[in-house]
Amino acid sequence: MMKKNAMIDRYRWWEVVLMYCGIFVFLFFVLAPFIEGFLVSLKPLGLLFSTPYKFLPENGSFKAYFTMWESVPEFGRYIFNSFFISSVITLVVLVLVVPASYAFARISFRGSGTLLGAFLAVNMFSGAVLLIPLFRLMRAYGMLNTYWSMIVPGVAFLIPTAIWLLSTYMRRIPRELDEAAYVDGANHFYILRRVILPLAMPGITVVAITTFIGAYAQQFIFALTFNSKTEFMPLPIGLYAYFGRQEVIWNELMAASFVGIAPAMILIFALQRYLVAGLTAGAVKQ
Amino acid sequence: MGQLALSGVKKRFNKFEVIHGIDLDIRDGEFVVFVGPSGCGKSTLLRMICGLEEITEGECTIDGVRVNDLPPVKRGIAMVFQSYALYPHMSVFENIAFPLRVEKLPEAEIKERVMRAARVLQLESRLQQKPGNLSGGQRQRVAIGRAIVRQPSIFLFDEPLSNLDAALRAEMRIELTALHQKLKATMIYVTHDQVEAMTMADRIVVLDGGNISQVGAPLELYHKPDNLFVAGFIGNPRMNFIPGTCTSVGPEGATVSLVTGGTITVPVEAPRNLEGTQITLGIRPEHLSQAGGDLSFDVVPSVVERLGVNTVAYAELDGVGTVSALLPGSSPVAPETPATLSFVAADCHLFDAAGDALARKVDSSMPIPDVATA
Repeated sequence: MMKKNAMIDRYRWWEVVLMYCGIFVFLFFVLAPFIEGFLVSLKPLGLLFSTPYKFLPENGSFKAYFTMWESVPEFGRYIFNSFFISSVITLVVLVLVVPASYAFARISFRGSGTLLGAFLAVNMFSGAVLLIPLFRLMRAYGMLNTYWSMIVPGVAFLIPTAIWLLSTYMRRIPRELDEAAYVDGANHFYILRRVILPLAMPGITVVAITTFIGAYAQQFIFALTFNSKTEFMPLPIGLYAYFGRQEVIWNELMAASFVGIAPAMILIFALQRYLVAGLTAGAVKQ
Repeated sequence: MGQLALSGVKKRFNKFEVIHGIDLDIRDGEFVVFVGPSGCGKSTLLRMICGLEEITEGECTIDGVRVNDLPPVKRGIAMVFQSYALYPHMSVFENIAFPLRVEKLPEAEIKERVMRAARVLQLESRLQQKPGNLSGGQRQRVAIGRAIVRQPSIFLFDEPLSNLDAALRAEMRIELTALHQKLKATMIYVTHDQVEAMTMADRIVVLDGGNISQVGAPLELYHKPDNLFVAGFIGNPRMNFIPGTCTSVGPEGATVSLVTGGTITVPVEAPRNLEGTQITLGIRPEHLSQAGGDLSFDVVPSVVERLGVNTVAYAELDGVGTVSALLPGSSPVAPETPATLSFVAADCHLFDAAGDALARKVDSSMPIPDVATA
């Protein structure tokens, strides 16, 4: 006999079919560009412009994944740059945001609400609006054409979201834990290190992942504007190297895109392990 | 040593005053219970003694030292929170060791002191577990363990048993009393549960709206409540209050004419000018009986609760409200069936128009035998 679900989870067959149809439509909508990109990366260049256009590759191969390293030999360096810039941004953001969020969540000081609001307001400007003043600032501090020109604005624009995310998370940690630690003689730094940090790990992981993704995504515009040195180029700019004078090597470009995303994907899957729910079980009576 | 004194202690949140000037002396080794309805300021007062809340006005001294501006540790205080407040990511051992780690004690001493606390609280087999795997009572014991390893002179308990189920609460009550006898430290205990207050306290402090209503030994509060509030708060079911007028005052007491009909002379020390004033007579449900007495009145019980050992009857009376009577378990009362309740003058309490009690001519140091409360 089939295992029966609870009443609330029981559906008729056509309801199940409808649900899966819905899931398929949604997933297809989201993943279509990736699917097409992947198919393109498998096709030989000549086939890409055939009419009528065929979506499924004939005699497809992974050749482009090998030739891409020959067409643009510095591509490895671009991946490293992207990864390096995003990692540094994530680290700096975490170092700044963890104590800041603790302060917003636990210490009441004049203007904390206003300050949080101001952070949100900063978030409403995209980096693009501020490119010209940023450029002047970078020039004044001599940061143009260095890694810093991509790291510093990256950090600045990612801090507000990170503070909002993490301070909300920390607010959910029961206050009695701080009070108990305080009564036992701990100061704010000790409480943050021994009590809050371990309990906020899932929140910190979420912040690390969103910051890393954000840094990966936003570096394009800063790299394009503030850096003209090839050796510091991150991945999104590096992909332009596949745009030749005569033609664009589309299949290698697509292959390079996938290879470029890989390190970030691996890192995110690795971090996901720390997203454990229910870490505060048993802390207080609920 | 753990002698604590509060003098003129006040607490204001912005402009709003919640504690209106508390004077209280707590002797070394005493078990004092703060009791009162929710919002009476008992937790706030405890947090002020602890150092979690600023003392707006007045002084708090421990062993003669003013501690208003000292952090909790320097006051020699440990606190057990209502919600346990255990660190879920640490083992039971680490939870208990936390205050010692903050103090940076050598590992060997930490181990020794944690083991000693664990032995007292029977947690030895649980030391490596996480709080999440423990039952409510065990968690509460871990919280107490964290308080006792520091060997403070004063323990503060903020409603520590309120989230346990009834059976466990009774068990923990006995454990806490035993712990107090073993440690001989001063303990201040906040609760809204008068059974906890009556059973554990050396002295009870009844708080009402940020003021001390009365301080005294449990039976003193029961037999000689100072005012209507304490009379109504201590005792379960609550004392019945019957309005009336004082008709005459004599050496044998005050004679009162009640709205339920009849007059009774209550043995109290009454001033001359009481004659003709409004007065409230208080009679505890356990002192009402069907066996006859100095005065009787007729009621029609609307609800009858049979608890086995006792039977509680509730009835509506004109001009009085709900009257409850705690009768023997086999009493022949039934809902909607008229019954006669009587009481004797010696069991009565009298309160003047301001709600203050007139001193009873009974000896409260000698417990008067009465029906056990449920």
